[in-house]
Amino acid sequence: MNAKFWQIIVSILLAVSFTASADEKLSVYAVNYPLAYFAERIGGSSVNVVLPVPSGIDPAFWEPDASVIAEFQRADLILLNGAGYAKWLKHASLPRRKLVNTSAVFQRDYISVEQTVTHQHGPGGDHSHAGTAFTTWLDFNQARMQAKVILSALKKQRPQQADVFIQNYTSLEKDLVSLDQALAAIMEQDSNKPFIASHPVYQYLARRYNINLKSVMWEPEIMPAQNQWDALQQLLATHGAGWMIWEGQPDKQSVARLDELDINSLVFSPCANTPEEGDFISVMKNNIREIEKAFQ
Amino acid sequence: MINSLYIAWRYLVFNKVRTATLVACITLIAFLPMALQLILEESQQLLQSRANSTPLLLGARGSALDLVMNSLYFDDEVPEIISMQAADEITDTGLAYAIPLYIRFQARNKPIVGTSIDYFDFRNLQIAQGRMLAVLGESVIGAVVAEEYGLAPGDSIVSSPDTLFDLAGAYPLKMTVAGILERSHTPDDQAVFVDLKTAWVIEGLGHGHEDLSRTRDSSVILNRSEDSVTANAKLFQYTEITEENMEGFHFHGDASIYPLTALLVVPNDAKAATLLRGRYLENQQYHIVRPTEVIQGLMENIFRIKRVIDAVIAIVGLATVLAITLVFALSVRLRQRELTTIFKLGCSRMTAVKLIAAEIVIIVLAAGIICAGLLHIVDANAETLVRMFILN
Repeated sequence: MNAKFWQIIVSILLAVSFTASADEKLSVYAVNYPLAYFAERIGGSSVNVVLPVPSGIDPAFWEPDASVIAEFQRADLILLNGAGYAKWLKHASLPRRKLVNTSAVFQRDYISVEQTVTHQHGPGGDHSHAGTAFTTWLDFNQARMQAKVILSALKKQRPQQADVFIQNYTSLEKDLVSLDQALAAIMEQDSNKPFIASHPVYQYLARRYNINLKSVMWEPEIMPAQNQWDALQQLLATHGAGWMIWEGQPDKQSVARLDELDINSLVFSPCANTPEEGDFISVMKNNIREIEKAFQ
Repeated sequence: MINSLYIAWRYLVFNKVRTATLVACITLIAFLPMALQLILEESQQLLQSRANSTPLLLGARGSALDLVMNSLYFDDEVPEIISMQAADEITDTGLAYAIPLYIRFQARNKPIVGTSIDYFDFRNLQIAQGRMLAVLGESVIGAVVAEEYGLAPGDSIVSSPDTLFDLAGAYPLKMTVAGILERSHTPDDQAVFVDLKTAWVIEGLGHGHEDLSRTRDSSVILNRSEDSVTANAKLFQYTEITEENMEGFHFHGDASIYPLTALLVVPNDAKAATLLRGRYLENQQYHIVRPTEVIQGLMENIFRIKRVIDAVIAIVGLATVLAITLVFALSVRLRQRELTTIFKLGCSRMTAVKLIAAEIVIIVLAAGIICAGLLHIVDANAETLVRMFILN
C-alpha cells in the first residue's frame, strides 16, 4: 500500500515536471522573415519566434545593436539563412551551439555574385551585393530544404513534440511544393521569355525556374538617373525584355517611362522582412500571379 | 614549575643566538612537509576540479599535458595548432558540440582566451558588471584582472605584441572591456575573454583599413587595375575596432583553416563520449583526451616526487633531532658548574631536569607557534602559490 502510494506521488511529480518543460516555449530568433515564418509554421504554439528587424529595413543589411545581439545570445535557437546573408553576423559574437545554418545542406549550389557596385536604399546604409547570392528561399525547393533543417533543429530541442513538428512541416512542405510546381508550370510556357530584374536578388529564382533574367541596379522608390536609363537601353539591345520585375511597388514615373519603352512592370517581393499584409505563402502566391501576367 | 619556566625563559633569552637557531631548525623541519602537503592538496583540488568539469579536449597529436594545461589553466605553453575544421567535424558527428579555444596571446601578462559565447554557458560564468561580448573587438575580463588593473566596463585593454621586435607582425589591438565576470575561483578569474574572431584579428588574420577604392591618398596605392587595388605598407590599419570602422574589418582566406589551440568537446552523453574517443583513436592529426585522466597522471607524478621529498625531509628531520639532542647534551656538560651550584643551593636533581625540560618546552612551543603562523600564511595564499609554482 505504502509503496503504491509513493509510486503514484512520483508519477504525478514526473508528469507535472514534464508538462512544465513542454509548456515552456522555445525561443527562436531568425535573421529574416522566411525563416521566422517556417519556424512559426513548424513549431506552432511550442515556439516563440522573434524577428527583431524593424519593418521597412532589409534584414540582409540591418545592423543590430548590442542589446539585440544579447537577445540573440539568449535564444534557444538562432536561425541563419547562410550564403553570407545578414552582414552583421560577421562581426557579432553568437553561441555556435545555437546557430542553425539552414542553407548549409545546399551550400555547394550557392551562386556567386560579381556585382560590386555599392549603393544605398532605405535606412540600411551603403551596401553591395558582391559575394554570394543570398535570397535562397526564392527557389521554393531550397526553401523546403531550409524548412526541413528547421524541423530537425526543433526536433532536437524538443524530441517529445517531434510528431507535432513533423505534422506541421508536412503541411508547410505541401504549400512550398505547390508554389514550386505552380511557378515551374508558368515558366514552362516560354523559358526564353526575357525579363529584367530591377535589383540583383532573383538569382535562385531564375535558376530554378529557368527565367531568362538580367538585372539592373534600380530601387523601386527612386526614379533612376539618366545614366541608369542609358544602361537599360544598352541592355535592351541584347536582351529584349518586355517585363521588369520589381522588389516592391515601383515609382509611378519609372513605370510610365518604362511603358514608353514597351516594358511592363510586375512586383515579385522577396519578402525578406515581415509583410504588411498576409504571410510568406500569400505573398509568394501573389508574386506568382504577377509573373503569370507576363504570359497572358 | 612556573619558577622553572621563568629561569628557563631567562636562560634562553640570555643565549639568543643559540635559542633562535634551535627554534629555526625545529620550525623548518615541521613546516616544510606540512606546507608541501597543503600546497599539493590545494593544487590537486584546483587541478582536479577544473579537469573533472571538462569532459573532453581535442587537440593536435602531441603532449596531452600541454593541451590540458593550456586549455584549462591558460598556461602559456601553446600546444600544436589545429584548425576550425576540427570543430565542424565534431559538430557533424552529432555526438557532441565543440567550443573552440584559441589561447595564444596575452594582454598585460594575462592570457587572452579566444572562444565562443558557449564557453560562458558551459563554465556557468556570469557577468557581474557590464554586459557579455557582443561584437568584434570587445572583451570580457575575469574578476582578478579587473581588480589588479582597476578596469571597469568601458575601459580598454591592449593585447601584447607577439614578439617585441617583429615590425612586420600584427599590431597590438586595443579592446574595449564590455563586462567583468563574477569571481569563480578558477583560472577564468585571471583571463581576458574575446570572441574567436577578435583573437584572429590580434593574430593578423583579420584586419581593418580604409576602403582602398575610396581613399584620397594616392601615395598608399601601389597598383590599381579594373578589378583590384594593391596598397603599400603605408596603408593605415586600425588598431582599435569601433562602431565606425567595424565594417572595414575583414578576414582573408578560408575561415575553416583558421587556427585554434584546442576544442572543448561536450558530448551528449557517456555513450557519445566513448564513441567519439573511439573515432579519434586512429586519427593521425588529432587526439581526444580526458582531462581528468591527464591530471590524475600529473598528480601521481607529483605525489611520487612528494614521497621522495618526504623521505629526504624525514632523514633531515632525524638528523636535526639528533643535532638538537647533541646541542642539549653538550649544553648540560657546559652548564656543569651552573648545575653544581643549583645542587649546592639544595635543589634536587629533578629541579635540573625540570629546568632543561622547560627550556625544551619553550623552544618547541615557539617553533610550533611560528610554524602555525607560517602555515596559516601558506594556507591563505595556497591558490596563488599553486599558480606561481605549479600551474605556471
